[in-house]
Formats: sequence, C-alpha cells, structure tokens
Amino acid sequence: MKGITHFAVGIATASCFPQAVHAGAAGNPLYFILAGIFGLMPDTLDFKFYRFFYKHDIEIIPDPNKPDPQLIADAIALAVNTTHATGKNIRVKLNTIPIAPDTWQQYKVSFNTTTREVTVSYGPLVDTSGTPITSENRRRKSLTASAKLDCNIRLDYQATIIIDIFDGPLLKMSPTRDHSVIPHFIPWHRQWSHSLVPCLLMALTAAAAWKPLAGMIIMTAYASHIAIDQIGFMGSNVLFPFRADRTHGLNMVHSNDALANFSIVWISCVVMFWNLYNSSPLTLPGFNLIKLLMYGVFLPGLAYITIRHKTLVAAKIRTKWNNFKHLFLQNRNTA
Amino acid sequence: MITACLSAIAGALISAFAACIPGLHVYNIMALIVIILHTTHTTLPPEILIPCASGMMAGFAMLNTIPSILLSAPDESAIFTVLPGQKYLMQGHGYEGIMITAAGGLAGLFVLIFIVGPLAPVILPAAQYVLRPHTHWILWCVICFMLMSEWHQEGRLGQGGWSKFLRSWKAPGMGILTFALSGVLGFILLYKSPLDEKNAFQNLMPAFIGLFTLPWLIINTVSRAKIPPQEITAGIYKSAVFKGAVAGSIGGGFAAFFPVITGGIGGFLAGHATAIRDNRAFLASQGTSKLIYYAGGLLFFFVPGLQTTHGGAAWMMRGLYTPSTNYDYHLALAAIAISGCTAFLLVSPLARLTITIIKKCGFRTISAAALALATVIVYIITGYMGLIIMLTSTGIGLIPVLFGSRRLHCLGIILLPMACNMSGLGPSIAKLMGLL
Repeated sequence: MKGITHFAVGIATASCFPQAVHAGAAGNPLYFILAGIFGLMPDTLDFKFYRFFYKHDIEIIPDPNKPDPQLIADAIALAVNTTHATGKNIRVKLNTIPIAPDTWQQYKVSFNTTTREVTVSYGPLVDTSGTPITSENRRRKSLTASAKLDCNIRLDYQATIIIDIFDGPLLKMSPTRDHSVIPHFIPWHRQWSHSLVPCLLMALTAAAAWKPLAGMIIMTAYASHIAIDQIGFMGSNVLFPFRADRTHGLNMVHSNDALANFSIVWISCVVMFWNLYNSSPLTLPGFNLIKLLMYGVFLPGLAYITIRHKTLVAAKIRTKWNNFKHLFLQNRNTA
Repeated sequence: MITACLSAIAGALISAFAACIPGLHVYNIMALIVIILHTTHTTLPPEILIPCASGMMAGFAMLNTIPSILLSAPDESAIFTVLPGQKYLMQGHGYEGIMITAAGGLAGLFVLIFIVGPLAPVILPAAQYVLRPHTHWILWCVICFMLMSEWHQEGRLGQGGWSKFLRSWKAPGMGILTFALSGVLGFILLYKSPLDEKNAFQNLMPAFIGLFTLPWLIINTVSRAKIPPQEITAGIYKSAVFKGAVAGSIGGGFAAFFPVITGGIGGFLAGHATAIRDNRAFLASQGTSKLIYYAGGLLFFFVPGLQTTHGGAAWMMRGLYTPSTNYDYHLALAAIAISGCTAFLLVSPLARLTITIIKKCGFRTISAAALALATVIVYIITGYMGLIIMLTSTGIGLIPVLFGSRRLHCLGIILLPMACNMSGLGPSIAKLMGLL
C-alpha cells in the first residue's frame, strides 16, 4: 500500500494505547511520532536503503534514440535460460527510458507460460505522472518483440510488468526443483524488512532503551504494515529468516489502488478520532460509537456507492445511445 | 444587502490586483487596511468588513494561480501548482492549466458553500474539542511524513553499492537540509527578528517571498527560458476535476482546520491519500485545496462556538472584530459565494491579459520585472533588513530548485518552530541557539 496509508495506520494503532493518548494530550508527541515512523519503516528500509545496495548480474539500459524491444526480450530470455542451464540465480535490472525531462518511454514485459516466451512491447510516451502524452503518441508506432525460453516459467507476481517512470524493476530468476524458473519481481522488497523478526527486535530494543510502551507501539505499528501489505498481491516474507521467500498475498487489492488506500486512511482517522475522544475528560452529549460509524463510515460509503453506481449507469446509457446513433446513421446511409 | 454584495465584489477585485503581482500577497494588503483602520480609529460595520475580507480571501485563492503557472511565482499555498503548471506552460497549454486549477477552485467553492457551510457549525466545535490537545503531535506527524516520503529520483543506473546509495540520497538529503535551514531561519524570525517593531506584523513576508516566489523567477531570468506560444483553449475534464475536488476538499479542509498547516501541505497529504497521478486531477485538487484553505480558514473564524483563529486573515480580523452570532457566519459564507464566483469570472480575462503581456515583453523580461517588483515590495514594506532576510531565504529556496527536492520543505520556516512551541520545546531550543 502507499506510504501515507501505512503511516496513518501506524498512528491509529498508537491511538489504541490510552497511555500514549494521555501523553500526547500532555504535550509529549514521541509515541505518535514513533508510531508513524515505524508504520512506514519496512518500506523505508527497502526503498531508501536496501535497494541501492542490491547487486544485479545483467543490466538492461534501452537506448532512447533506438527503440529495440528485441534486445530487451533477448536479455531477459538469456537470464532465464542461463538460470535454467546453470541452476544459479540471475538478477536482471530493467531500466526506464527517459526521453526528455518529463517524458518517459513506457514498455511492457510479459511472460507467456503456455507458449514459453517473453514478449516486450513499447507502449506510449508518458509523463512523470504516468499519463500518456496524447500529442506525442499520435505519430508513434508501437513495437513488439518476443524471445523463446528454454524452460517453463512459474509466476510469483503478475505476468505483465509495466516499466515507465523513475527507477525500473529488478527481476531475480530462480530455478525450481521441477526445472522451471521463477522471475521474482523486485526481490529486494518485502523480504527481511517485512518480517516479524526485525519488528520484534526493534520493539525489544526500544522497550529496553526507553519504555515498554514505546516497544509495544513500535511492534503494533510495524506489524500493522506487514498485515496490510499481505492483503495485496505480492505478499511478504513474514517469517524471515525461517523462510526464504515471500508468502503470497491475499490478492484482494493492488497496492496502488486509490480507493483501497483512501478507505484505509479514512478508517484510520475515524479510529484515531474515537480513541482520542474516549480518552478526553469530557463527553459530547448524544455522541457514541454507532453515531461515529454512521456518519464517519456508513454514510460516506453509501454516498460513494451511489455516485459510482450513477456514473456507471450514465456511462452505459451513453454507450447505448452512441451505438443506437451509429446504427441509425448506418441504416440511413444504406437506405 | 447591496452594501454587503458590493463589499464582497470589491474584496474580489482588490485580491485580483494582489494575486496578479508576484510577491504581493493579499495578507500584505489586509495588513495595510488594518493599520489604516487602527491609526485613523475607524470602525467599519460588519456588513462591509466581513464581506470585504471574505471576498479578498476567496478572490486571492482563485486568482493567484495565474502567476503560479505563468511565471512560476507562487505563494506558499500554491507551490504544488508550479511543476505541473510548468509542464502545461512548456507545452503551450498554460491557459488550460490555469482554467483547470480555477475549475478546481470553483468546485472548492461549491464544497465550502453546500457541504462545509451547513455542517461546520455542527461538526467543527466537537472536533475542535476532541483534537485541540493533540494538535502538536499531529503537526509532528505531518513533518515526519513530509520528510520520509521524499522520492529518490537519482541512482537509477549502475551496480548497487555505496556510490549508488549516496547518489540516490542527494535530493532527499538536500530536502532535509532545506527543512532544517528553513526551521533555523523560522526560529530566528520568531524569537529575535531583525525587523523593526513597526514591521513586526510582516515578520515572515520577506522570508516567504524569498523561499517561494523568487527562486523560480531567478531561474527563469538567468536560464534565458523561453516559452512556446500559448493556446487559449481549455477542455472540459469533469472526471479529473471531480477527483481533484474530492482530494482537494480533504486537504484544504485539513489545512483550514489545523493551525500552521497551509494549503500546500493539505494538498500534498490529500494527493498522497487519494493516490492522484493524473496532472489534470492534481491541478484541480490544488485549486480546491487552496480555496478551502484560504476562504475556509477565515470562514471558520466566524463559526459560532468554534473560537478558532487559523491563518493570517483570521488573525488580522481578530484585531478588528469579534464574531458573535450566526449572522456573521452567514454573511461570510454569502460573501465567499459572491466573491468566489466573481473571481472565477475574472480568471480567464486576467490569464489572457497576462499571456498577452508575456508574449509582447518576453518571458525573461517579465520574470526579471516580477523579480524587481517583488524586491521593491519587500523593501517598501520591511526596509533593508527585510531585503537581507529575503536574500537569505532565497538562498535556502534555491536549494530544492537546483537539487530537485520538494519545495514544500521550505515550510520548515513555520512548521519546525511552531511544532516545537506547541510541544513546549521552543523556548529551550531558542535558548540553545542563543536567541533568548
């Protein structure tokens, strides 16, 4: 999930400790700061530190001036075939293609498990937000190339990977016992950092160095990160060092899904508000948990579903009307 | 009623003047009006004072997009419109960028009038009661997230190792440095301002201009930047504006309600929470966030039972008027509606006028003129000492521009000292710095 989601959930977990809330109200912000920081810590360790030290065996730097999808496909196939032949892990770094300061060439890498080939296709030019630049794309042709693989592929993530902005992904080709190869997507992510072991170690260190409450807060914030990531597709290596690979996620939502991220942030805010209210000395007349859930969760959810439904219905009507218009014009021309 | 309507429109027109001149903030004009009223011992009736002030805020929030996108000279709440705005400008679509942001502002106006307006007196006093003792740690958490969420743009190529790691940390490192330096400057200005007592009310103004307005004007002037001819067309992007309005409403509402948090920070948090990637939706969200932050910040001052003073306008109003009834609140709400719509109608002609002036005089000349004008304004209002503060802060403001980190870190100037003060650490740190 996105950084702000983990950060908000971390703070929400800290608000579940009345001692932390009382300390916050008394002017001590440290428990909540710790919760936010450690809620985001697993991704911070991966994205800000570990990935810059992770080595690779093959680096693909596509030439922005000479688009050549075959070269990329061949390089990936070489990595897969070498892994299959030698039984060793081969790491391939796929780099992005910057065209101008705010323009990137998007390309896709797809593994076809039935035909045993890897396909690379050049997509549109996109800006740094990932949005296709319409004016530039009108005159560009899309290019596609494939390369044969010597073995079966077993997928650990998605079959198609899109590479567009900032830093490209790294794939670790690992052999399996049945002589297949698994292309592990960004193998530096959600490994040791997303395990309960460092979570426990950090919590114990904080508890020993400062206060048991700090340790508890760190543990819950950190563990909440791991738990939330587990609802996605990639999963995490929750039991490192006792397990070597990531456990598959629940495949419920994509980590960058806007609605899922926003919903979790919103619910975290509602939880926080209730906990802060519960710890405050005075009470608001007529205010209770049911009312909070009604106005804070149920009604906004209902409003969203209604708007979404109406938008979909409007889109369907528009499509039907366009089809009808098209048929009418066709019949008139024929007549 | 006619007096109130005319005052609201007058407020919007005054803010139109302030918004189109880089370096001049609506708060400067408000402060000038406050000084004149105090020195002449004049008391204005609420039917003039409230609509005029509300009109100035709503108008400024809607119209300050023009210099932010066409000259990259924003105030602190519009910093996030600069980069996407520049993309539009360099593709010849600066006008469209302005209109999308203004459409977001109009959506914000609807949210303020039809959602926030009726709900604020019911919800906000309760929320204020629960959240007030916790404001300081919320501010600290915002700071932490701001610093932790900086993206590493460098260090794409090459084998993993220390060299790649150090390269990748250049921009985030400079971001942290910017935040720290801005924070130190903030402490100095707050505890031992070099400005005279008579200029104390404009304590942060030269620093804000140096941090946010001047750096891009300098870059525009020095780099001999040229912009392509601008198309005066704008598409209708209902979906993008809707998405942006949802995100911007949350961000702007957060910023208007919590002290010290500005519209820029609110927009940044909302952009993250709603995972906005589309440039159009992002610009619209900034327009909404800005409007709700500026106009909402003042509106909340009039909410019966809330007793909150967030934002420069509310602080200045506090010296002139004490709101007491629902009448004041409804007057402010109506004034925001009238002036917001007036300002929206002014966006297109003023944007066209600015584009024509840029076309006739040249982008570089206009940037240089804006640079000179901002310097003159600072000198007139704060004197030589203000110029020194402005130059110092310009140096800090240039760091993120040159190293590609977030300009938002410049807000350390208020975030750091205020967060420290709210947690009771401010005086100790000031003493440690030799300021007390």
